[in-house]
Amino acid sequence: MRDQHRAAWLLCVIAALFAGRSAAADTPLHERIDRAIEAGRDGRLAAPATDGEFVRRVHLDLTGMIPTATEARAFLDDPSPYKREKLIDRLLDSPEFARRMQVVFDVMLMERRPATHVPATEWEGFLLDAFSENRPLDQVAREILSADGADPAHRGPARFALDREGDPNLMTRDVGRLFLGRDMQCAQCHDHVLYDDYKQAHYYGLFAFFNRSYLVQDAKGIATLGEKAEGDVTFKSVFKKKITNTTGPRVLYAEPVAEPAVAKGQEYWVAPAEKVRAVPRYSRRAQLAKSVVSAKVPEFNRNLANRLWAIMMGRGIVHPLDLHTAENPPSHPELLEMLARELAAMGFDGRKFLRELALTRTYARSSEPPPGLSPEDGSPARFAVAVLKPLSPEQFSWSVMQATGIVAATRAAVERTLFTVDPKLTQLMQLDDKRRRFGRRLVESAVYDGLKGNSGPFIAQFGRAAGQSQDAQDASVHQALFLSNGQPVLSWLDGLAGRLATIADASAMVDELYLSVLTRRPMPDEREEAIKYLAAKPSAKAQAVHELAWALLTSTEFRFNH
Amino acid sequence: MRCDYSCRSDDHVLSRRGFLGGLAGLGLASGFGSFVNPSAAAAMAKGQKQMLVIWLAGGSSQLETWDPKPKTETGGPFRAIDTSVPGIQICELLPQTARHMHRMALVRGVNTHENDHGKGQYLMHTGRAQAPGAEFPHLGSLAARFLAKGTEPLPGYIHITPGGGGVGGKEAAYLGPKYGALYLGNGAPPANTARAGSTTPASDASRHDLRRHMNDRFANRRRTAETEAYTTTYEQALQLMERREVFDVTREPAREQERYGSHDFGRHCLLARRLLESDATFVQVTHSNYDTHNENFAFHLEQLGEFDQGFSTLLDDLAQRGRLDSTLVVVMSEFGRTPTINYLYGRDHWGTAWSIALAGCGIKGGTVVGKTNAKGTEVVDRQVGAGHLFHTYLKAVGLDPKDDYEVDGRSVQIADPTASPITELLA
Repeated sequence: MRDQHRAAWLLCVIAALFAGRSAAADTPLHERIDRAIEAGRDGRLAAPATDGEFVRRVHLDLTGMIPTATEARAFLDDPSPYKREKLIDRLLDSPEFARRMQVVFDVMLMERRPATHVPATEWEGFLLDAFSENRPLDQVAREILSADGADPAHRGPARFALDREGDPNLMTRDVGRLFLGRDMQCAQCHDHVLYDDYKQAHYYGLFAFFNRSYLVQDAKGIATLGEKAEGDVTFKSVFKKKITNTTGPRVLYAEPVAEPAVAKGQEYWVAPAEKVRAVPRYSRRAQLAKSVVSAKVPEFNRNLANRLWAIMMGRGIVHPLDLHTAENPPSHPELLEMLARELAAMGFDGRKFLRELALTRTYARSSEPPPGLSPEDGSPARFAVAVLKPLSPEQFSWSVMQATGIVAATRAAVERTLFTVDPKLTQLMQLDDKRRRFGRRLVESAVYDGLKGNSGPFIAQFGRAAGQSQDAQDASVHQALFLSNGQPVLSWLDGLAGRLATIADASAMVDELYLSVLTRRPMPDEREEAIKYLAAKPSAKAQAVHELAWALLTSTEFRFNH
Repeated sequence: MRCDYSCRSDDHVLSRRGFLGGLAGLGLASGFGSFVNPSAAAAMAKGQKQMLVIWLAGGSSQLETWDPKPKTETGGPFRAIDTSVPGIQICELLPQTARHMHRMALVRGVNTHENDHGKGQYLMHTGRAQAPGAEFPHLGSLAARFLAKGTEPLPGYIHITPGGGGVGGKEAAYLGPKYGALYLGNGAPPANTARAGSTTPASDASRHDLRRHMNDRFANRRRTAETEAYTTTYEQALQLMERREVFDVTREPAREQERYGSHDFGRHCLLARRLLESDATFVQVTHSNYDTHNENFAFHLEQLGEFDQGFSTLLDDLAQRGRLDSTLVVVMSEFGRTPTINYLYGRDHWGTAWSIALAGCGIKGGTVVGKTNAKGTEVVDRQVGAGHLFHTYLKAVGLDPKDDYEVDGRSVQIADPTASPITELLA
């Protein structure tokens, strides 16, 4: 009897366990995200985005620029019900995706600081490789946090520290902000007045990883980080000047780093000297990556998940991205915990994680609030309506170049050069998937290198100052002047207008114009108006097309990822 | 061109004379000679405050300007002269400026503890010491953000420099680049304010109509603060293009140009007047270069000759046109110069005991605050730092330096919380 009971009980437990497991295993992450966002909304949600909005949005987010008219037309005319998923997978697999991530992470981590000690190309190369091979993001973070520039073949990741001059306060601030989601600058002099959980001890615990390190330049001027074997961190609150505190290296609430005792006289592998990089036997800085990227530091996973979310959704679940604190709670706390957990569970596979986000209904919602939606329900923190995202300076410049045909023309020229050198080589390149992929990457690199200089003036006009968070954007009169009277845009538009003006049928021409610039076909009244506009200027067709194209390019619809 | 007397830091790679005399032969082009700008009265009626900063780059000598010590071992060759205020004397290199002393206030007890060009510039522009990881906005950016109404056709923070022009951004720190400086290199108008040759006025008007029409459609349901800000910039751009001639001092009658002086600084002061009269909120004019590590006296003689003419004429005009009451004027540098005269007859960097001058809006004329000892080697009365000065500027134009500014949900006090205004200066 008892055994029977036990067996039945066991069966129940097993069944329950199994049911629990299968619920999680069967329901894909994107569906669970949508349930979390839609819970309690009772349908107070924006309608799904149109195909035109979706194809533009996903190209901008995953490849950094709008699609060509040809790509847009193909997508719009594709009857397949699975076309969105197919598109997401195709884009995630493209070399443009790795490039987009390179740019996003460069801007996020370096904040447009000038490249002083490490050439930008080495750092960008490091990021591009990491995203091309889809290296786990925790590993990428560890590589950045542990790089000291000593290995001449891998100086790229060291740019994070070296182009901050290895300054311990700056490193503390930026590792806190960018890797842990906490701007603890104000806790430098005392516990934060507004945020109870931003302690001065947290600031100096992190500071203790850096305070022994310093930037050293060898005889050739090559900078690396050296480190001394001594230097303890003490701090006083400006409010309680009598109490002096000491701390060793420690990340937020995690246990302090256990430090080995080093025998006197044995402190160094390489002792400090002028123009020499000192290497201690025990390095605090070498502990940093292990201590920050650790299962014991949930803040790391939360920060990373939140930042990836913001790339796609236009704002963080915690927003601003570097203000994780009880006083600024996440809009969806359980969702953030789930995302942080799942990101770790999938081995920090950034591509896989972004794919899940791209597959959500949340991502694919219209940016147009439904009629009658209250401002509270339409608040961006609800994610019930897609957030309007201003294009980053890079997205903007590349999209202008895409819209005006500059990218396509450059790509065609690159392909001509690469693939007509030797027909045999061209054949070889098509042999298998690996070779084809290599070929695509080659073309993308050549196009990128050829055109990236054009982004310069856009970054100067639309970017924020070096060393400042680039998350927000501002509109200024100089941007409008640049787009109204500046040469690059006007001459690119001339090219586009010249090409379009050769299309004899006005309606077909207007179609092509709208697809090229706005990634959609014109509405009937828009078409009619455009045709009328052109008809009124029969002697100056190209000029009229130029004016129309300029108006589309400078419209809010183009300026935002909507 | 480098100034061969400077300390050769990168701050001085500016051309002083690149545009010299370019205006001499030009006739009077317009009827802009008739003076009173109708908007001056309007601005005052609104209580709109403006600011003018004259920046003496490189660090001008307090001993050859506001705090002379004649007949002492540190005093140098120049005499002190009387001013319009009995009992206040300044250096004889500033005879025209001396006439304005009843409008001006001097702060003679400045100690900034800073002898580095870059850090001194940061300190004097922001009222806070530079620290890694923290950026604070320039005075000009704060003015652009808090004094300007946002509807003015001119950008809020305009900086006329002897050298390069362009759009800044960094100056605004957390306020956002919109409040950054617009640099008018050697007084030249800002980039892209002229219609491209290929665009006719008619074509420009019609493409803007198309753009507005597009936007109305999009904004129908998706109007946000961000979309509004973006569309507004195009209207501002059109206004700025229309008023482009404000940047052109050659539209002033020849006698006006002569009054200000046939040198860059004079021309830049005249431009500053035109901008202020067009309701620019904050105008800074940089006069370069005072970094006189050698031949301090010869160079101050030359530089201050330009300064005295341009500055005093500008003060005259602001006062006569009723603008001075609502315009705060500040003359400052990154630091002063050593009382000790070095073996090259130069003076070196010196943040320990130096002076700045103020005038106009909210400032009690004829005031001197602070005192240095007989040789000028230390402050002996009412010592103040850059933070105090910064608080004073803000207070003078009616801003509360203790106001908090919200940055992404964080509060920052707009002026250094450890400092306070110099109330003796405030009217």
